[in-house]
Amino acid sequence: MSRTSIIALSAFVVLVVLVLTMRTTAAQNLQRWVLQLVRPINKATTSTASQLDAFGKGLKTLDQLEREVRDLRVDNEQLRTANEMMNEKIAENNRLRDALGFKQRSNFSLIPARIIARSASTWWSTVQIDRGEADGLDSDMPVVTDQGLVGKTTTVAANTAYVLLITDENCKVSAYVEGSGDMPVEARVKGLISGERIAEASSPELSLNFLPKTAQIAEGQKVFSYGVAGGVFPRGLLLGAIKSVQPHELDLRATVAPAVDLARLENVFIVRDTREAEAPKATAVTPTPAAAAPTPTPGPTVRAAQPVTPTPAGRR
Amino acid sequence: MRTAAFFGCVLLADFLAVVFQGRFAPLPTLFGATVLVFPVILAYGALALPFAGTLALAFFNGLLWDALTVQFLKPAEEFSLDTPAVPEFAMGWSILLFGVLAVVVHGLRPLFLKGRWELHCISSGFCASAILLAEYLMITFKPHGLIFPRELWGRILVPGFFAMLLAVPVYWLFRGLATALGYTVRVYPTKARL
Repeated sequence: MSRTSIIALSAFVVLVVLVLTMRTTAAQNLQRWVLQLVRPINKATTSTASQLDAFGKGLKTLDQLEREVRDLRVDNEQLRTANEMMNEKIAENNRLRDALGFKQRSNFSLIPARIIARSASTWWSTVQIDRGEADGLDSDMPVVTDQGLVGKTTTVAANTAYVLLITDENCKVSAYVEGSGDMPVEARVKGLISGERIAEASSPELSLNFLPKTAQIAEGQKVFSYGVAGGVFPRGLLLGAIKSVQPHELDLRATVAPAVDLARLENVFIVRDTREAEAPKATAVTPTPAAAAPTPTPGPTVRAAQPVTPTPAGRR
Repeated sequence: MRTAAFFGCVLLADFLAVVFQGRFAPLPTLFGATVLVFPVILAYGALALPFAGTLALAFFNGLLWDALTVQFLKPAEEFSLDTPAVPEFAMGWSILLFGVLAVVVHGLRPLFLKGRWELHCISSGFCASAILLAEYLMITFKPHGLIFPRELWGRILVPGFFAMLLAVPVYWLFRGLATALGYTVRVYPTKARL
């Protein structure tokens, strides 16, 4: 072995040891820096790809564009009106809750974001978005679309962030099954939903675990986030629909088809201020086959069918 | 100088391969496997560059890969937001893994220099599958123990196969680039035939 090779090997070993023994905060800062570095490249290629895609779909005539603008204006007016009505209802609801001595529900603000890159890894399901700390993002913020829950933010850099998708094994959400939402809290069919690292199906699926053995669940029933106290996700976000149910020794497990088509996802919304919206924190509870989810507290109700109401302040 | 220029080109190609890796969508009909390009560049670098260059490439590739893929997660997920986030495996393991693989492939360099270009194909496939298998072992060993479903092997071996196919155009591309830059791979002194 030549002298240069020995020096190179020694330098390599020293550098590897330095990186391996790096503190978590330093490692995360390094990740933020790299994310910020690759952001312009990813953003530029995404926008070029979108332009090419739009060009490929053909140019529209002036008449078509005018019609589209007219339709969009009508939609906009309808949505504004609906929004105003919902804001009034929220204010009324809060007054009533206040009168009853309950904590007020929050109004959420939505931060729109665009997906600029997808995970390069085989084992993790993540996407990179074009919003970051500068836009008010923090880690562990829920990410949604009009179809339902997408995931949550993890590493957040200055102008970009990672979103861990619900199809990832590490993204666990406490959930309840449709039809049991109106039941008393203790009677709802609850469980813990998570993605699968090695999915058997060709499209990603979710796994709903720790369901009570006696639960009556049918195919097609919708699954919503439960919104545990002090948790990441607000209550009522659509997660998917039951695809099949498998009985196990101690509990039931269900396969859930995600509500959002994550493969075609382009634009998402980050839900702001859910943490402040929750009632005082309850003790963390690990779900067991007998008692699937922890005790709920009054929290925000956000459903995909009735999307989150964006407010200018976005605060209580 | 020529070596440095060629090394710079390999490094740039590796950077672009890692950054644009996410553009390759998983193949749903093939167990959700993805096409991995960077192991092809890593294998080529290990065969064509001197030992120091091989290690530098492995370090750069491993650091970039870890920075772009490792997820910092809170252990209790939804229930305890105050818990600090920790990486699923420590940042830097990929550097070690890529370094070991690159050194193993570098051992084939004397044969590669004699014109055995197919070694690049084989080592590309080997590197792609070995990286995926090692990553899987690292992230699943702790929480689940070792489970090897059929789909897993598909996800590990299919990228290896695609890497072997990709290795052919990549080899010719770098060969052309080396010629353009005037980079000649230094041949090891060989023993005289008996």
